Amino acid sequence: MPIVSAFLVPGSPLPLLRGDNPPWAGLADAARAAGSALAESRPDVLLIYSTQWIAVLDELWQTRPHSTGIHVDENWYEYGDLEMNLRIDTALAEACIAAATDAGIRSRAVNYDGFPIDTGTIVANSFLNPDGRIPAVVAANNLYHDFAKTEALGRIAAEQAELQGKRAAVIAVGGLSGSYFDHEIDIATDHIVSEEDDAANRALLEALAGGSANGLRERIAEFAGAAKGDMRLKHLGWLLGATGGFSGAKLLGYGATYGAGAAVVQFQLS
Amino acid sequence: MSEGKIVAGFIAPHPPHLVYAENPPQNEPRAEGGWEPLRWAYEKARKSVEELKPDVLLVHSPHWQTLVGHHFLGVRRLKGKSVDPIFPNLFRYNFDLDVDVDLAEACCAEAQALGLTAKMMRNPNFRVDYGTITTLHMIRPQWDIPVVGLSANNSPYYLTLEKGVEEMEKLGEATRRAIEKSGKRAVLLCSNTFSHYHFQEEPEIPEDMSREHPQNYKGYKWDMRMIELMRRGEIREVMRLFPEWVEEAFAEVKSGAFPWMISAMGYPTIPAELYGYGTVIGTGNAVMEWRLAA
Repeated sequence: MPIVSAFLVPGSPLPLLRGDNPPWAGLADAARAAGSALAESRPDVLLIYSTQWIAVLDELWQTRPHSTGIHVDENWYEYGDLEMNLRIDTALAEACIAAATDAGIRSRAVNYDGFPIDTGTIVANSFLNPDGRIPAVVAANNLYHDFAKTEALGRIAAEQAELQGKRAAVIAVGGLSGSYFDHEIDIATDHIVSEEDDAANRALLEALAGGSANGLRERIAEFAGAAKGDMRLKHLGWLLGATGGFSGAKLLGYGATYGAGAAVVQFQLS
Repeated sequence: MSEGKIVAGFIAPHPPHLVYAENPPQNEPRAEGGWEPLRWAYEKARKSVEELKPDVLLVHSPHWQTLVGHHFLGVRRLKGKSVDPIFPNLFRYNFDLDVDVDLAEACCAEAQALGLTAKMMRNPNFRVDYGTITTLHMIRPQWDIPVVGLSANNSPYYLTLEKGVEEMEKLGEATRRAIEKSGKRAVLLCSNTFSHYHFQEEPEIPEDMSREHPQNYKGYKWDMRMIELMRRGEIREVMRLFPEWVEEAFAEVKSGAFPWMISAMGYPTIPAELYGYGTVIGTGNAVMEWRLAA
């Protein structure tokens, strides 16, 4: 079985940078718990898709072998710097590029010193792979790709991992409801912007717990429209494609990141 | 101290291709040229800035997008490498810029006084976005004039275009007030492309100009219509048509730099000078100036 575990984690840096803030502490604890579960699954590689790595020309795949240094988020800079320690499984990434291109999704490698790796990828890698030991394949969110094409990318990544005999953990990095507070708030009082968004998030999480059968894709599409879902929840498309479906999900944490919905979920594989 | 003033405002778009094509020492990739008409347009803008001798350049960039309010660079010197996340093959630029923190703080305070959420960015490790850097390089490659960098608050996308434009116009008013109190001569830079329809694949040789043309005819026609109005000084008509332009040409001016600049300049009815227009991966780009003072 090439896919040994799968997780949804938020890309917001707030729980990582300010895990001491009560509304974000639960998400931080949950993300660390997800990291423990991931370690227990003993993956050789992480298959990461982050809604925050935006591409508009081609599908981009990170191929720089090791990225280190400091990253400052353009919005949340006041809460501190993010330490980057991201290793890439370049052989697998190159195989993904070739396979995606063969499948009609023009793809390119990104291997540049100083490339601004997105906050979501850095946050997920910090929580789930804290010593940076496990290499990853990281794919960009091309704005012109829909949910189905993103599923195809996830499927391609998993197939290539299997061809290389690698045990892979799938990581979908992104949020749930997308509305946020657009003014300064007391962060100790952070909560989901509206009761409607909160209800929609909880309903979606319940649907995820029921497994990927039973019209989950339709539920996701409805949610994305009604609750301004983060990038139409394409990160879940990546996860669905890579896992080939799941039988259920365990909610490790749910909360707000400046009003937007965020959850940490561990998926039970079929 | 005499009253400060805005001496000019420029439409100064930021395709990184323009920096790439020029081959400055700060940028790592090398090009065979390309996009010459737009770069020649910037040559004229550079001469104009040289004549104006401003004390400060203020740039509003859509590639520093902020969710909570309007942000201002607030560190006196910012240095580092800016790599374009979309075109890393073209733009890997080592920047070193001086910020006019005093004026930035004054703009921020005036914005807050007008009821806007505004804040200062104080993190010294902050990486300045490529839009800000490209516009500043193209307008003043010597980097010898302090800058004020403004983020693009997400309100035109998150709220409605109308509410977003209102915010940007207030920000423009705040900027003008701060400049007037500062006693400084200021140049405003609207770092925006016009029609933003673009090709989704890059040519093998990015500077192969045989592949360059407007991606969308409707977008091109909108750009010509708006440029003509600007050249005639009909700025109120431009602002009346602004929502349609944004909608139909998918214009990047939606991000707020244009209403910010026009409001700051007091909706000038003088004709704008067009230095040049050209496409970059199919998007429409104009370099233009409103000269407000000698």
